[in-house]
Amino acid sequence: MNLTLPHFFWSEYRKRRKKASLITFALFWGTLSTLLLMAFGQGMSTQSQVAFSGLGETLIMVYGGQTSLEFEGLPKGRRIWLYSEDIDYLKERIPEIMRIAPESYNFWQVSAEGKEINRTVHGTTAEFAVMRTQIPQLGGRFINPDDDREGRKVAFIGWKVAQDLFGTKGAVGRTIIVNRVPFTVIGVLQKKIQDSMYNGPDADQIYLPFRSFRQIDNQRYIDQIHIQPWNVGQSKLIEARVRMLLGRKDRFDPNDRYATSFWNTIENNKEGQAIFKGIEIFLGIIGGLTLLIGAVGVTNLMYAVAKERTKEIGIKLAIGARRRVIVQQFFLETMFVFAKGTFWGFIIAFNIVHLVRLAPINYDSFGIEAYLLRPEFSLQVFAAYMAILGLLVFFSGIFPALRASRSNPIESLRYE
Amino acid sequence: MIELQGITKVYRTGSQSLEALRGISLKIGKAEFISIMGPSGSGKSTLMNIIGCLDTPTAGEYVLDSDKVAGLTFDELAAVRNRKIGFVFQNFNLLPYATAWENIELPLLFDGKGGRKRRERVTELLNAVGLYEWRDHRPSELSGGQQQRVALARALANDPPILLADEPTGNLDSKSGDEIMDILTELWKEGRTIIMVTHNDHIASRSKRIVRLFDGQVVS
Repeated sequence: MNLTLPHFFWSEYRKRRKKASLITFALFWGTLSTLLLMAFGQGMSTQSQVAFSGLGETLIMVYGGQTSLEFEGLPKGRRIWLYSEDIDYLKERIPEIMRIAPESYNFWQVSAEGKEINRTVHGTTAEFAVMRTQIPQLGGRFINPDDDREGRKVAFIGWKVAQDLFGTKGAVGRTIIVNRVPFTVIGVLQKKIQDSMYNGPDADQIYLPFRSFRQIDNQRYIDQIHIQPWNVGQSKLIEARVRMLLGRKDRFDPNDRYATSFWNTIENNKEGQAIFKGIEIFLGIIGGLTLLIGAVGVTNLMYAVAKERTKEIGIKLAIGARRRVIVQQFFLETMFVFAKGTFWGFIIAFNIVHLVRLAPINYDSFGIEAYLLRPEFSLQVFAAYMAILGLLVFFSGIFPALRASRSNPIESLRYE
Repeated sequence: MIELQGITKVYRTGSQSLEALRGISLKIGKAEFISIMGPSGSGKSTLMNIIGCLDTPTAGEYVLDSDKVAGLTFDELAAVRNRKIGFVFQNFNLLPYATAWENIELPLLFDGKGGRKRRERVTELLNAVGLYEWRDHRPSELSGGQQQRVALARALANDPPILLADEPTGNLDSKSGDEIMDILTELWKEGRTIIMVTHNDHIASRSKRIVRLFDGQVVS
């Protein structure tokens, strides 16, 4: 048996059971609140990332605009349109681009099996699927390059569109009429959470091959271009190059911020993540402060223990205990008090997180619950909690331990 | 073995100072059995604490086994107390929550001895003081004589060459006191240096040399 371990601590600890129980409860509550706040903070951060990626992964969207600067004798106020030729033009000249896809849309009447709805219908190419996280449900697919090349009359539809037109029946293989032209449904979008969008959530959209869309739409221009870079760090560079190249082609000043506009989701995402990281840290600090109250209690308890055990410390010093033995003993005892207090907080927090995660998310009305119902008990949360706990154990234990170890052996032996 | 030269100890409390030892010089050789006697306040315990490295002198030089004690750090002094000096106190100073076995084991733990060595040594010591059967008892469950025997066994744990006994029979009945003195005499015969503080002339007569203190000075 190693007597440097908190062997006699129990007797002392039992003497102060009432005070010790309050400290144990404070540590339990501190642990529970710290872990839950951090887990919910991390969950919100992750869910925001998931929700944001519902729009797309590392995406830069380019829109046309109106010039605000005169350029090479041309007046300001000219409309700048994007065209399908711009896709190849940009791809060939900007090697940093990994994927690029055009998108045009129009609001049309869509009908099937006697039902009529009005929805935004989009024309795009196969690459759009990966960039805009258009993941099909089992048994279906997104538009492929052959659909586009051959101008096939096929459609990929959102899950709400499928519900509205076909109810619970499978939509794949059925026909929808878009702007009086029949299209065969080849896939239905898998449910996803999405907090960023244009023209509404993807669940309500209908996608056609770009060529097929152009056949029923009479516009020459396209509404936007989607770009995905090889390297997310190059998004600003790509923006500048697109401005420069389109400016050269369409004759506008590359510094004209209104001639073209960008929705750079990479930069937006960075800002969003920084905000959520801030919230996470704030919640961690709130929880840590709760835990701190327990830690102050532990320090007081350890000072009381040190005082009441003055004689015992004197005896140990007299028979040859070195300072580090006394420090070690007090530290171990501090750790023991913390372990006793934090264990159940840890277990209960873990189970609460687990239970909350079992709650289903309603994809039809994606709201605040989608952020709150997926707390995460990740390695990061655990590491942060352990770091906070380690600091508190250290600072709770070090001062009483040092005071005890610096006792004068003779005075300690005389202490009654 | 022990050489004290001009040892002075002054206690200061605020503006007042008390000179507990006044230039004591003393030599104690190996395997001596010495009693330190004197009235209350004569400086016996202070001298004992300095010899036992529990306290340091205000002035003077203390050489223990050719080492100047004044130059040793807190932990070096602890190591000396652990290996070279065994303490036996009047009020036993056993840890109340520890069993007889654990109390004896403590100096061995502080010396970093392994579990097997500790078990062998504690068993040997408990048998030597006749308390093996009482090994799992706490001090409150032992008589005064038994407690002092546990304290003696603890003092001998690391086989120190010097044993300091401060009124070792002071809290014991005469029979238990005699038993303790028999053990101390036996230990002296084995070659240990025994330094004992006592008021009792009868107890002191068991030693081979008596040093008398008065008012912080050696008078004979």
